[in-house]
Amino acid sequence: MSRLYVLDVPENTSVAKVAGQSDGVQVDKLGPYFVIEYDGPIVIDRRATGCRHAVWYSCVAGLAGGRIVQWDKNALRVDPR
Amino acid sequence: MNDLAGRHLARGVDHAAFPTFDPVGTVRFYRDVLGFPVVHSICAAGWGPDDHPDFIHFFFDIGNDDRLAFFYYFGLPRPTSDGKGDVYARFDDSTPDWFVRSRHLAIHVDSEDALTEYRRRLDLSEWPVEMQIQHETIESIYTHDPNGYMVEITRALRPVTPQEDLDANLTIDALVDIAQREGHTMDDLLTRKAELIVERAPSWEVRV
Repeated sequence: MSRLYVLDVPENTSVAKVAGQSDGVQVDKLGPYFVIEYDGPIVIDRRATGCRHAVWYSCVAGLAGGRIVQWDKNALRVDPR
Repeated sequence: MNDLAGRHLARGVDHAAFPTFDPVGTVRFYRDVLGFPVVHSICAAGWGPDDHPDFIHFFFDIGNDDRLAFFYYFGLPRPTSDGKGDVYARFDDSTPDWFVRSRHLAIHVDSEDALTEYRRRLDLSEWPVEMQIQHETIESIYTHDPNGYMVEITRALRPVTPQEDLDANLTIDALVDIAQREGHTMDDLLTRKAELIVERAPSWEVRV
């Protein structure tokens, strides 16, 4: 199970929203964080989020049970460890 | 212990000081181009040990009662080393630009109009804006002053929120934890941060 924490600020809401559109991916809140959770790979398409570089490359606040295997201009992908 | 213990007592930058070998250019850049008033100067003759040159220590008002200060030492030869950097610190050509630029002074403005006005002043001068960057949360212009020091003028596109301060503290606590381990990585940091989020979440639930 991978768990990705994303701070709930206006620039990041689309990251959580796009993540939640994938089948099986759960998005909850814990304090000021979105918690994005899935037992398979979590893949977030950057263009779908509309994020530009500064926000995109700083949107991950924490990571549990998973490993970032891709984080480039196309996508962020977290695979279970 | 007294009643000041544990309180954040600092009140901004009294002054940040840099040496200059070009007082004429420095005054033109800060006072005449940017319009930062001269607010203080000290003419120090025969001060210090025998081999200490006479010097002028002069200050510009950079707003908010904060000041930027320079030392000009009479007769001190300018270092002649090649490479990248400024009059105080030089690096060989293999040093990446992002590292050289990482040390800089950023001055805050409150509005887009103010930023545009500083851009206009610089672009009419010998030190035009080299780079203007806007991303989702800030907009900045950059140039180098006559001494080679990188100067940024920046505005926030929105205020920093309390949750960002909370997140910043988690980041730094996680960094302090993992930076003591050999070979630490960003992956270690994000993993440690996730642990801290879970540990501290109960206290946030109570407050919210």
